[in-house]
Amino acid sequence: MSAGEGFLDIVWAQFKKNRFALAALAVIGPLFLVAIFAPLLASNQPLVYQQGGETLYPWFRALFNPDEPVDFVFNMALLATFPWLAGTLLLNWLWKRRHTPGRVRVLRSAGLFLLLLAALCALFSFPALRPDNRYRARTFTEEQFQARTARQEVTAIYPLIPFGPTEQDLDAIYMPPGHAKDPALQRKSNDGSTHWLGTDNTGHDVLTQMIYGTRISLTVGFVAVSLYITIGVVIGALAGYFGGLVDIVICRLIEVVMLFPSFFLILTLVALIGPSIYIIMAVIGITGWPTIARLTRGEVLKQRTIDYVAAAQALGASHPRIIFRHILVNALSPALVAAPFGVAGAIITEAGLSLLGFGVRPPTPSWGTLLRLGSDNYHYWWLVVIPSLAMFFTVTIFNLIGNGLRDAMDPRLRV
Amino acid sequence: MWTYILRRLLLMIPTLFGVTIVSFCIMQLAPGDPLLNQLGSGGMAGQSSQTREAFLLQKRDLHLDKPLVLNLHYFRDYRQPVNIAAWFLSRSDAQLQAELAELAQDPKDPAQRQRLHFLRKLEIPDFARRLADPQQRASLAAAARALVQVYCEDLGEHGVPAAMALLQTPATPLDLRIGAIHALNHMVVDPFVYTYSRTPTEAETARILAAWSRWWELSKGKYPPIDTPHRQELVQRLADLAAEKSRSRLFEELGYLDPKDMGFFAERLLGPSTLEERFVASLALRSYIPYPLQLDLPADASAEMVATVTANWLAHYQPRLAEYHPGLLRKCWYLVSDTQYAHMVWRLVTFNFGRSALKTREPVSQKIWDAVIVSAPLMVMAELVIYLVAVPLGIVCAVHRAGWTDRLVSLGLFLLYSIPPFVAGMLFLLFFCYGDYLRWFPMFGLHSPGAEQLPFWDYALDYLWHAVLPITCLSLFSLAGMAMYSRTSMLDVIRQDYIRTARAKGVAESKVIFKHALRNALIPIVTLFSSFLPAMLGGSVLIEYLFGIPGMGRLSWASIEQKDFPTLMALIYVDAIVVMISILLTDLMYVFVDPRISFGAQGESK
Repeated sequence: MSAGEGFLDIVWAQFKKNRFALAALAVIGPLFLVAIFAPLLASNQPLVYQQGGETLYPWFRALFNPDEPVDFVFNMALLATFPWLAGTLLLNWLWKRRHTPGRVRVLRSAGLFLLLLAALCALFSFPALRPDNRYRARTFTEEQFQARTARQEVTAIYPLIPFGPTEQDLDAIYMPPGHAKDPALQRKSNDGSTHWLGTDNTGHDVLTQMIYGTRISLTVGFVAVSLYITIGVVIGALAGYFGGLVDIVICRLIEVVMLFPSFFLILTLVALIGPSIYIIMAVIGITGWPTIARLTRGEVLKQRTIDYVAAAQALGASHPRIIFRHILVNALSPALVAAPFGVAGAIITEAGLSLLGFGVRPPTPSWGTLLRLGSDNYHYWWLVVIPSLAMFFTVTIFNLIGNGLRDAMDPRLRV
Repeated sequence: MWTYILRRLLLMIPTLFGVTIVSFCIMQLAPGDPLLNQLGSGGMAGQSSQTREAFLLQKRDLHLDKPLVLNLHYFRDYRQPVNIAAWFLSRSDAQLQAELAELAQDPKDPAQRQRLHFLRKLEIPDFARRLADPQQRASLAAAARALVQVYCEDLGEHGVPAAMALLQTPATPLDLRIGAIHALNHMVVDPFVYTYSRTPTEAETARILAAWSRWWELSKGKYPPIDTPHRQELVQRLADLAAEKSRSRLFEELGYLDPKDMGFFAERLLGPSTLEERFVASLALRSYIPYPLQLDLPADASAEMVATVTANWLAHYQPRLAEYHPGLLRKCWYLVSDTQYAHMVWRLVTFNFGRSALKTREPVSQKIWDAVIVSAPLMVMAELVIYLVAVPLGIVCAVHRAGWTDRLVSLGLFLLYSIPPFVAGMLFLLFFCYGDYLRWFPMFGLHSPGAEQLPFWDYALDYLWHAVLPITCLSLFSLAGMAMYSRTSMLDVIRQDYIRTARAKGVAESKVIFKHALRNALIPIVTLFSSFLPAMLGGSVLIEYLFGIPGMGRLSWASIEQKDFPTLMALIYVDAIVVMISILLTDLMYVFVDPRISFGAQGESK
C-alpha cells in the first residue's frame, strides 16, 4: 500500500475481500443498464419503419417525448451513454499516458457521465429543441399488420421485445408466461410475439412492465435516500457540533419523529397530499432523516474532541467551514453505510404503497402495481411471483452492498 | 435510581407535546371544506343541506372552525363584517351580479368600497381577474355567496352578538334583517336544546324551558283546554311514564300518546314539576312536534314573519348572554384555549377522539379498541416468536462461530432479512392458502365462520390455524435482525476475559455458555423488544390488509381509504403513544436488569 493511501482506498481494499458484496456490486451494474436501456429492450415503436419509399424513425421520436418525467431522464441517460463511452475511452488513453491513478479515472469518468446527462436533460427540456412527437396518434404495429394483409411492402425493425409499457391488449388479458397469440386473433404485427412473463388484467406485457418498473424503483430508492441522507447529515452535524440547546431540541425532534411507525406515517402523508411518485420520494425523504441524524450526531460528537478540530478553530476557521470541510468528511461513514439499506427500504416502501393503491398511478408501470393485481386474485401466480422475485433480488443486492460497506468501514473489524 | 426514573418520566412531557404537534400538522394536510373543494368544479351543486349540516356538526365537533393556535375572535368587533355578510346573503343572484359589475368599476361609495374589501379578504380564487371579466360574473357570484356562507360558519358563535345587534336595531331595513337571519342560521347549528341528555340534570332545565316556552307562546291557541277527568288520566299517565325505568319501554309508551294532548305536556313542562316529569314531557313534545320553532326564512319574507323569527332567535340568545359576552379574564383564557390546537391536544390527552366521519358515526375509541384487541395478541405472539427463535439461533451461531452452522444460518438469516414481509405474505397466500398449490391455511380473517360456538380448545386451535401465517410475516424481518444482534452480543461476551478464566479453571463448556455468557449477553437483548414495535406496527398495515385481519393496520388503511380523518388522527396518535410507552418501559427495564449501570450517568447519556 502506497503512502498516499486515502480513506476510499482502504475501504475499497476491504470491500474487495467480501466476495458476496463484490458480486452484488457486479450485479447492480446490469440492473442500472436494464433501467437505462429499457426502450432498447422493450418498445412497440419501431426503430425503423419503411413503407412506400418513406422511412420513419418513431422510436427515436418517442424517446424524447415520454409521458413520465422519470422516463425522460432515463431516456436522456440512454442517449448520453454513447458519447460517454467514446469520451471515456479517449480520455482513458490520455490519462494512461499521464499515469493518472485508477481511482481518479473512475471518479472523473462517472462525473463525465453525470455532466453529459445533465446537459442533455437541460437541452431537451425545451420542447422546441427536441424532435416532436408527430406519430403520437399512429399505431405502427397496427398499420404494419394492415399493410401486410394488403400485401404491401413494409419493413419494420423492433426492439428485442416488441411490446410497449402502456400498450394494452384486451384480447389477451391474464395470459400465463410463454403465451403467444393464436394467428387467427391477431390484429397487430407484434401480436404473434411471445409474452415471456405473461400479461396482466389489461393485457400489458409483464416483462415490459418489469423492465420499465426498474426505473421507478431505482429512482424512488436513490432520490429518496439521497434526500434524507442530506437532511439527516446536516441536522445531525448541527446537533453534534453545537451541542447545548440546539442539541436538546434536535434530539427531542428525532425522538418524536421516530415514535411514529414510518410506513404508516408515509402512507398517511402520501394519501393526504395525493399519490404520485414525486410525493412518495419527498415523503420518504422527509420522514427518513432521524436515524441518519442520530448516527451522524454520534460520530460528530466523537470527532469534535479530536485535535484537528481544535487546530482548525485555532486557525480561525468559521463554524460552517469546520463542520462541512473538516468534521463531516470524517463523520460521513455511518450515513454512507446506512445508504444501501435505505435504498432497499425505500424500494420496499414504494412497492408497499402501490400494493395498497396509494403508490404510482396505473399507466406508469411499477412492480408494486403488478403485486396489487396479483393480490386481487392469486390464481394469476405470475403477477405475484415475478415482482416478488425481482424485489427480493434487488433488496438482497442492496443489503449485500450495505453489509460489505459496513464491514469495510467499521474500524473494529479492520485488521 | 428514582431520580433517573423521575427524570425519564418528565422527559415524556416535551415528547408528548412534540407528538401532538406532529399529529396536528399531519391533520392540517387533510382536505378541508368539501364546499370549497367543489367551487373549482362549478359552484355549490351536489351538496344537500343535510350533508352540509352533517359536515358542519363534524366541523364543530372537531373545532375545525376555530383559529389554529391563537383565538383573537373574542377581542374583535364583528359588527361591520357581519353587517356586510348579512347584506350579501340578502341579495338575490341577479342583484349580486349587478353589484359585482358595479364593484368592478372601482366605486367611490364608502359602503361599496367596504364590500369590495370584504370580498377581497375572503380569498376567492383568482378574484381580481374574474371580477374584471363579465363572462365570469355568474360563477363569481356563486363563489362569493359560498364563501360568505363559509365565513359565517367559521365565525360561528363569535358573529352571533353582532347579528343579534343588527336584528335588535329598529332602523335596520327588512332585507338586511333577512340577511342577518340567514347569517345566524349559518353561524349556529342546532341553536335550541329541546330535550334532556341521557342522564337529566337540573342545569339543563333553563335552556329547554326557554325553547319550549317560546313555542308555547306561539302555539298556545292551537290546543283546546282539557277537561278534568281527562286531565286526571293524563297526570296519572305522566307519573307512570316518569317512574318508568326502561328507556326502550318509555319510548314505546311515548308512541301511544295523542298529539292533541301536547298542550298538557307543555303546561307540565313549563309549570312546577319534578325533573323526571319534565324529562318525559320534553321527550313527548319533541316526538310529536318535529319543527317547534322557525329559524330560517325565504328571501321574500314579510315583516311579520321576520319579527316572529327574530323573536325565536332572541329566545336562543337571551339565556346565553353570559356565554356570548365573556368577561375579560375568560376572554384571555380563550385566547389560547379556544383554538384548534388546544382543543385537539385536550381531546388527545383525554383520549376522547370523538366520532368517526363515516355514516355510522361510531365512537372512534370504540373502533380503535375493537382493532387493538385483534392486533395486540398477534403482536405479542410475534414478539414471542422472535425471542424464542432468534435468540437460540444467535447463540448457536456465536458458539460455533465461523463454522458451517454459523455460515449456513447467517446466510439464511440474511436472505430472510431481504424478503419484504408483505412479499412473504403474498407468497404464503399463493402457495399455502389459495388452493392452486396447497390449501393448508385459510386465506382470510382470524376465525372460521361459526367459531364462537366451538369449545375453548377448538376455538384456540382455529385461531392459531388462522394466525400462523400473519404472525410469521410480522416476525420475519425483526427475527433476522434480532438473531444477528444476539449473535454479536453473545460474541462480545464470549471474547471477555472472565469467560476465558472460567474455561481455564475447568468449568464445563455448557455451564460456561449458559451460566456465564448467556446471562450477560441477554441484558441488551431483553430490552430490545421496543425497537421492533414501530416497524411491526407499520408493517401490520400491509400484513393485515393482505390477510384480511380487522386489526389496527387494516383500520389504518380503511380510515385512509374512506377519508375517516378523526379515526386516522386517533390511530396515528395511539401508535405513537404505544411506541413511546414501550420505549419508556425499555429504558426503565434497563435500570432494573443491568445493575452495573450507574443511574446518574444514564440520564446524561440520553
